[in-house]
Amino acid sequence: MTQRISKYQRFKMMNPILQFFKFIYLSIKIMIVVAGGHGGTRKAN
Amino acid sequence: MSKIVILGAGISGHVAASHLRRKLSKDHEVVVVSPNSNYQWIPSNIWVGIGRMKSKKILFPLAPLYKKKGIGYKQAKAVTFHPEGDKTEQKPYVLAEYVAGEKKGTQEKVTYDYLINATGPKLNFEATEGLIPGENKTYSVCTYTHADHAWHGLNEVIQQMKNGKKAKILIGTGHSKSTCQGAAFEYILNVEQELRRHNVRDMADITWISNEYQLGDFGMDGMLMSYGSMTMKSSEMVEMIFEDRDIKWITGAGVNKIEDGVAHYENLDGEYKTETYDFAMLIPVFSGHGFKAYDKNDNDITDKLFKGFMIVDADYTPKPYEQWSVQDWPETYQNPSYKNIFAPGIAFAPPHTISKPRESKNGKAIFPSPPRTGMPSGITAKLVADNIIDSIKSGKASLHHKGSMGNMGAACIASAGYGMTQGSGVSITTYPIVPDYEKYPKTQGRQLGKTFGEIGLAGHWLKLALHYAFIYKAKMRPFWWLIPE
Ligand SMILES: Cc1cc2nc3c(=O)[nH]c(=O)nc-3n(C[C@H](O)[C@H](O)[C@H](O)COP(=O)(O)OP(=O)(O)OC[C@H]3O[C@@H](n4cnc5c(N)ncnc54)[C@H](O)[C@@H]3O)c2cc1C
Repeated sequence: MTQRISKYQRFKMMNPILQFFKFIYLSIKIMIVVAGGHGGTRKAN
Repeated sequence: MSKIVILGAGISGHVAASHLRRKLSKDHEVVVVSPNSNYQWIPSNIWVGIGRMKSKKILFPLAPLYKKKGIGYKQAKAVTFHPEGDKTEQKPYVLAEYVAGEKKGTQEKVTYDYLINATGPKLNFEATEGLIPGENKTYSVCTYTHADHAWHGLNEVIQQMKNGKKAKILIGTGHSKSTCQGAAFEYILNVEQELRRHNVRDMADITWISNEYQLGDFGMDGMLMSYGSMTMKSSEMVEMIFEDRDIKWITGAGVNKIEDGVAHYENLDGEYKTETYDFAMLIPVFSGHGFKAYDKNDNDITDKLFKGFMIVDADYTPKPYEQWSVQDWPETYQNPSYKNIFAPGIAFAPPHTISKPRESKNGKAIFPSPPRTGMPSGITAKLVADNIIDSIKSGKASLHHKGSMGNMGAACIASAGYGMTQGSGVSITTYPIVPDYEKYPKTQGRQLGKTFGEIGLAGHWLKLALHYAFIYKAKMRPFWWLIPE
């Protein structure tokens, strides 16, 4: 079922103060995923 | 002394060149061969294509930077590969043809000890009849010149709407096997927001057309993600956004021909349909550059190096979708026949797609090719550079650095509208990029906490912050290497 974005959700999405904290939170979270490292998938022989 | 030649100065070529130069002493030579005189930060083309950013803000000339940093630069394009040299040249080389300056049109054998092929994709517009950027009312945002044209085309339509003419806008993929749905997704949301800003939104019908089976596939087989306190499919998320923005969609569509204002396509049901438009931005299919390779006796060995894109340490054995595994994906991007050749970024041949292959009832393959976004392009380039650096410094071949797309996360900050207070972005992270169904069988091959989506103003700020950070990094300003790929 398609979910529409409610007025309250939209308020939260566009509120600069809330979004400032979201910006910090997202930056850290993205850094964790991105800088979380990478490697191979195959077992070494 | 070693000589490392890098073909291409896009995200991967430039990342490789800058890390090699920083970590290797000046006894070693780093040479970039690339036809475009400018570096461009491609992700910001989206904003050039809606007239909110000038193309000069996303590019800078390479020659002065490379001169200052001690990186050799030839404004030339690679033509043929000679990994064993030839009868007159002992060393392996690439035949390059200058595209500008006094040497324009002349060819040179550029010899190397290590070769990094970072030539990215060929934007294969010719594969779709009539799909020509700037003609038949279709545009592209794949390069800054294309994006500039796209804005002129869009602006014309906006002016017509202001004069009372209704318009149809079509954005998505221009071929049954195109990839880079993410870029088209960003563009459609940005266009939608700009039409609102120009007070003409009610005059426009906006439609998404794509070869994806479902919305939100993005060439990655879609994803199950955390969204706030919920778990949501990417298809549901994109559907929610399109519903909210009143954007219609056509999925499972393989566009096969463009006429002036008409896109012809076949869908998975085998129906041949058309969609009319006044402005379209359709991403072409990406292909290899069609390079040829020769051994020292001038015999054609193209199939040792290329399979469309460059052959690397992937498992290319053909097998059904059900048997695909993350282990098929390359880890070091080294060519198995010539161990001093590497291909990071989009230049390597993927073992198969990530999305499930599907055919129309007429047998036409309609599904996205695998994307390789900026982040994996940068990461794979850096690990290739690090392996070469280790090999040179230790004097023996080293492949210590590995990075499979099946064990790598990616962040995609999709712009959903420009503006410091009115902008928006859809921030999506995925781990791993290639789903690992063995490790994460219950969550569609991905780790939930690390695969999440967020929508809002913060996403726009993030995308803008990344724009400045990556241009700073690309310009090799102080401490540039602290910014991760
Ligand atoms: C509109 C758009 C928006 C995007 N947005 C995002 C985003 O938000 N986030 C993200 O992560 N990714 C994004 N991407 C994807 C990202 O741009 C690519 O993943 C990335 O550019 C790939 O890097 P690359 O170096 O492999 O290839 P490219 O960047 O294509 O670079 C290839 C280089 O090779 C050179 N070259 C070509 N032919 C030759 C030749 N014969 N000899 C020598 N050199 C040659 C080219 O001039 C170029 O310098 C976007 C892509 C597009 C088109």
